[in-house]
Amino acid sequence: MALLELDGLTKRYGGLVAVNQVSMRVETGEVRAVIGPNGAGKTSLFHLITGVVRATEGEVRFDGRKLTGLSSYQICQAGLSRTFQLTSLFPEMTARENARLSAQARLALRWQPYGGAAVFAEAARRGDEALERLGLTDVANRPAGLLSHGDQRLLEVAMALAQRPRILLLDEPTQGLSVEETLSAVETLSGLLADGQLTVLLVEHDMEVVFRLAQKITVLHRGTVIADDVPEVVKADADVQAAYLGGYE
Amino acid sequence: MTGWRLFFLAAIVLAAAPFGLPIFAMTLLTEALILGLLAMSLDLMVGYTRLISFGHAAAYGLGAYASGYLLLHTALPLPVAVLAAALLAGVVAIGVAWVCTMATGVSFSMLTLAFAQLLYAVAFKWTSVTGASDGLAGIPRHPGPFGITVFQTKNGYYYLVLVCLLGAYVFCRALVSSPFGAVLRGIRENEAKTLSLGYNTRLYKIAVVALSFALGGLAGALYSPFAGFANTELLFWLFSGQVLIMVIVGGQGTLIGPILGAAFFMLLEHVLSAYTESWALFFGLIFIGFVMFAPQGIWGLLTSRRPKNARI
Ligand SMILES: Nc1ncnc2c1ncn2[C@@H]1O[C@H](COP(=O)(O)OP(=O)(O)O)[C@@H](O)[C@H]1O
Ligand SMILES: [Mg+2]
Repeated sequence: MALLELDGLTKRYGGLVAVNQVSMRVETGEVRAVIGPNGAGKTSLFHLITGVVRATEGEVRFDGRKLTGLSSYQICQAGLSRTFQLTSLFPEMTARENARLSAQARLALRWQPYGGAAVFAEAARRGDEALERLGLTDVANRPAGLLSHGDQRLLEVAMALAQRPRILLLDEPTQGLSVEETLSAVETLSGLLADGQLTVLLVEHDMEVVFRLAQKITVLHRGTVIADDVPEVVKADADVQAAYLGGYE
Repeated sequence: MTGWRLFFLAAIVLAAAPFGLPIFAMTLLTEALILGLLAMSLDLMVGYTRLISFGHAAAYGLGAYASGYLLLHTALPLPVAVLAAALLAGVVAIGVAWVCTMATGVSFSMLTLAFAQLLYAVAFKWTSVTGASDGLAGIPRHPGPFGITVFQTKNGYYYLVLVCLLGAYVFCRALVSSPFGAVLRGIRENEAKTLSLGYNTRLYKIAVVALSFALGGLAGALYSPFAGFANTELLFWLFSGQVLIMVIVGGQGTLIGPILGAAFFMLLEHVLSAYTESWALFFGLIFIGFVMFAPQGIWGLLTSRRPKNARI
């Protein structure tokens, strides 16, 4: 059984079909990319999986458990941690506090009315570890709102990682970065994924980034899956080329 | 640690106040501390969670009427009646918050206002319990089975209020510094992100409203036996606005600032009302001045030269 299973997932906005009958399987340990031109429905697909918006039709299952209909905090607690395409942080808190608050959410003792110091210590340990893996230790004590755009993107990944998720969902981690920033971010991310411990669902529109990071690629075009295979096959696919040449930038 | 040293210093000065101040000043100070407790309780919502309530008079009124009713109709000793009234305000708040947190932003504020207005209307109509427009008068301070008469004196009552305020302060400080408080701060800065991190933000908001109402209810419960009466003015929307102004003028998100804001408000009312009928106008102007030029409030101004000590 695959870790994450989508079955006929559909989202309609009035007459517009943002996500159309998407079915896919993500196995444990896999790094899967979802690509497609702007407006293809990639972010909508993430919103459906993580409960930010409700599906019109279809079902999401995680480790055999149905997630459809749950609230986004429940879905996160099931082990799916995500980042947003538009950076979403706590700008007045330091990077360390951001990561700590994120890690705290997954600690069993977080509701305990006493012993807060121990909860903070464990959360900070997990948060610092994640910051370190993304090379953010040097800026850990700076307010998140004052970090460079590149570091903010990575901080959001660190926050998701600090939750020790069973699957990490990244929505365009290199969105809005300069060419140099993108290169260094991809370097950091590929280091993170190298040991094959993480299961990742990655949205990207930058093909180069995708081919560097992903083992399997799902191509979305106007809400519909038009290809779903290993990078070499997807690269050679005529439909994919047509979609990208037709509607991309 | 400087913060706690300041806390103990303030506690000692306040505890010594009855030995140095004349009776009428003690009456003012007692009322200022009660209002300070109310403003501090609202700060949990406004300053720490960015839940702007336009209806905090509801907490005060609930506490005031409940303790007044219990003291008039039962033989419960004063402290028990006061605590029971605070508890009642907190429990009622769970239901209120459950409804109000269906909305966010301005809609949330409007719902809190609507709820306070509802209570205001009930207080006018439910004659057998609230005394309608006459309110509750002649509220006694029962000594209870152990014959505790100390609260019947002016200074004894002052110490009861002081202990409640200091206790509530320590409780609030611990709360906002705890992991729970960190989540509130997350909600304040970015609620959508806090939700997506796996926090049931609505539950956290309901919890903080209930705690805020319980402490605001405690303030009201202390007020009615102090004044000897409870009337619908305590539930009026204008009063809700005044408490919000105390929080903002004092310095939101600091706990101590709103206490100072309440004292400042009382002092100004006392001084200005001697000269002019329209003292509220001056207070309005001062409020506008703070919002425009010192949004960090009185406590923010006092601590701005040493920002490291701003948090205690
Ligand atoms: N809340 C919404 N209301 C109406 N249309 C929406 C909404 N969100 C997304 N869409 C539409 O759905 C389509 C897919 O958008 P999106 O998922 O953001 O694409 P991508 O992330 O692939 O760029 C777009 O045409 C977009 O305009
Ligand atoms: Mg997108």
